[in-house]
Amino acid sequence: MLEIRNLTKSYGDVLALDRFSLDLAKGEVLGLLGPNGAGKTTLISILAGTLGGFTGTVTFQGQSLFASRQLKNRLGIVPQDMAFYEDLSAMDNLLFWGGLYDVPRAELKRRAAEILELVELAGRAKEPVKKFSGGMKRRLNTAIGLLHKPDLLLLDEPTVGIDVQAKVSILDIIRNVGAAGTAVIFTTHQLAEVETACSRIAIMDKGRILAQGTLDELVRIVGERTFVEISGEFGAGAFSEAIQDMPAPSVELMSAGDNLALLAVSDTDQIPRVMDRLFGRKLAVTDLTIKSPSLETVFLKLTGRSLRD
Amino acid sequence: MRRLGRVLHVARNDVWRMVRDRPFFFWTLAFPIFFIVVFGMLFKAGDAAPAVASLTVVNQDEGRWGAYFVDKIKAPNIEITVVKAEPADFTRLIVLPPDFSARIEARRDQALAFKKRAGASERAAARVETRLFQAIARVLSELVLYGDGDLTTFLDGHPEVADLVRVETRFPEKTVTAVPSGFDHSIPGTTVQFIMMMVMIYGGISVMEDRKKGVLSRLLCSPLSTGELFQAKLLGRWSMGVLQALMLFAVGKAFFGLNLGSAPLALLVLAVFALAVAALSVFAGSLLTREDLIVGVSVLLANMFAGLGGCWWPNEIVPPAVRKLAMISPAYWAMDALHALRFFQGGLRDILPHLGILLTLAVVLAVLAARTFRVRP
Ligand SMILES: Nc1ncnc2c1ncn2[C@@H]1O[C@H](COP(=O)(O)OP(=O)(O)O)[C@@H](O)[C@H]1O
Ligand SMILES: [Mg+2]
Repeated sequence: MLEIRNLTKSYGDVLALDRFSLDLAKGEVLGLLGPNGAGKTTLISILAGTLGGFTGTVTFQGQSLFASRQLKNRLGIVPQDMAFYEDLSAMDNLLFWGGLYDVPRAELKRRAAEILELVELAGRAKEPVKKFSGGMKRRLNTAIGLLHKPDLLLLDEPTVGIDVQAKVSILDIIRNVGAAGTAVIFTTHQLAEVETACSRIAIMDKGRILAQGTLDELVRIVGERTFVEISGEFGAGAFSEAIQDMPAPSVELMSAGDNLALLAVSDTDQIPRVMDRLFGRKLAVTDLTIKSPSLETVFLKLTGRSLRD
Repeated sequence: MRRLGRVLHVARNDVWRMVRDRPFFFWTLAFPIFFIVVFGMLFKAGDAAPAVASLTVVNQDEGRWGAYFVDKIKAPNIEITVVKAEPADFTRLIVLPPDFSARIEARRDQALAFKKRAGASERAAARVETRLFQAIARVLSELVLYGDGDLTTFLDGHPEVADLVRVETRFPEKTVTAVPSGFDHSIPGTTVQFIMMMVMIYGGISVMEDRKKGVLSRLLCSPLSTGELFQAKLLGRWSMGVLQALMLFAVGKAFFGLNLGSAPLALLVLAVFALAVAALSVFAGSLLTREDLIVGVSVLLANMFAGLGGCWWPNEIVPPAVRKLAMISPAYWAMDALHALRFFQGGLRDILPHLGILLTLAVVLAVLAARTFRVRP
């Protein structure tokens, strides 16, 4: 139902989206995983129709997404910002935001009440939103995007800045919406979220998709090898030099940055040998982590950086 | 239809949010009523002319015509003091020069100086001035009709020419015959001032804040277009201004016996004025990125325009140069039109220029606002 082809957008010299392409089917929940600055918000803003000056095409249900404003009735957007009126109640916010869409008033009222139940805000529907906790506000932010029953729901970091419980509840909502047949794209920079809530995962960085598939498919990218993340005081060049003569299948340098490197090793016996080389060149190692194959190692391999930096 | 519905929906929400704000009634009612009372009282006495207007005649004339002229000025409501030399203290004064009679007899023209003390009643001065013109005309007519004699004696014998010369005095158009004062001045004045304050502060800040918080961008995620959003913002702020006017006029009618001259025309003036202010507030909200800046600019502009434009004291009492300068204030055009309606028997024709100027200003500001309007920070 959604085909994105070669979407490219730059802000001056910064290339935020680089020939970005993606397909999405009805009922699919796609987790778009990328570090800060990967271009997630840029993508969502273009799809939402609030950002122009890009090239590429987006086809939605057989026609260009930007062909008619009427198509917006089938699109639900949950922006990264908590964009609603804090002085109004949750109910008034829903009625206002829902009122922008072609939904009859009586139907809108019914749906608003229904959605408030769904996001567990029914008990406080009449209170000004400014009294809400961060998690409650995130739930309202999500609810506003769902109100007009869109065919495609786009959520930009819907769980950022809230506690674990609130996160779980938002991910539940997303899963349920997908199960009901709505196609969903949600962006995040948190691995755990995509592992639980998505039917498909895409990893993006620097404006492009690096890999996509189910969790299992992605983990297979890194194979059966064990990953070793080494941090210390060394330059990227010095590190590569230190281990360059080690045989490739047993020790492979996945990525090397200043003070952080990632190796794939065939078995853990290789680790002391690597250490010997490093100490031999007087490269200080401060931390060493052994990781079994996981989405995190895939991410590390693909982007060369940890999501935490 | 859906299009208009969406614009109304967004505009209505802006007005609704303003009305719900707790300080709203303080700002739109309590505070303005305080202004209305203070300025209404301050200019209440207005320029009620004294029952008897005083005139000092400095009669330096040697011949008979000086005394004759003084005699013609005499009227029950004018108190004349005749002196030989100009006194230091006077309310208003006319000088008859030493060659007054000689010039009349030689049929030569002459100029008489009429002086007014600053701040003396304009109405009393107008009364005296009228009387002076009448006296001059009578002297002239007598010279024409009866040579150098006394017309009164002549007319006793010739009743058929009694009405030959009649002097009517009229003030040229726009001459001040009344000075706007009291609540009929202070209510419109305060209304004009608070339309500026309220619309610019509420309207400007909400545009800026909604942009910062991503609310404006989110609005465009719906079928609403940027053009519709802009129209809605303008309409919302215009409605705030009109609402402010209606509230203060209602209070004025109920408690202060407000008379606007023509209420529909007065509302028309304020509606056009509110449109200009609405455009200015969207413009300020698009241009400025900080709340304190918007409040500062709004308070500064609103008060400067109000003071200069005649919202506090009537423009009719300021010196002509200041009045000219006041024309740069949009409030001047609103106040001048409102005064025309209430105090100078003006109708729609008289305020058309004012409406034209305000409407032009509104269009210019709306174009500027549309050009700078943006939804992203
Ligand atoms: N308005 C902007 N002006 C200039 N650069 C921007 C702007 N918005 C985003 N960028 C840049 O574009 C890149 C992608 O940003 P963004 O889409 O916000 O990424 P993400 O949401 O994944 O963190 C970043 O390098 C960011 O600095
Ligand atoms: Mg982002």
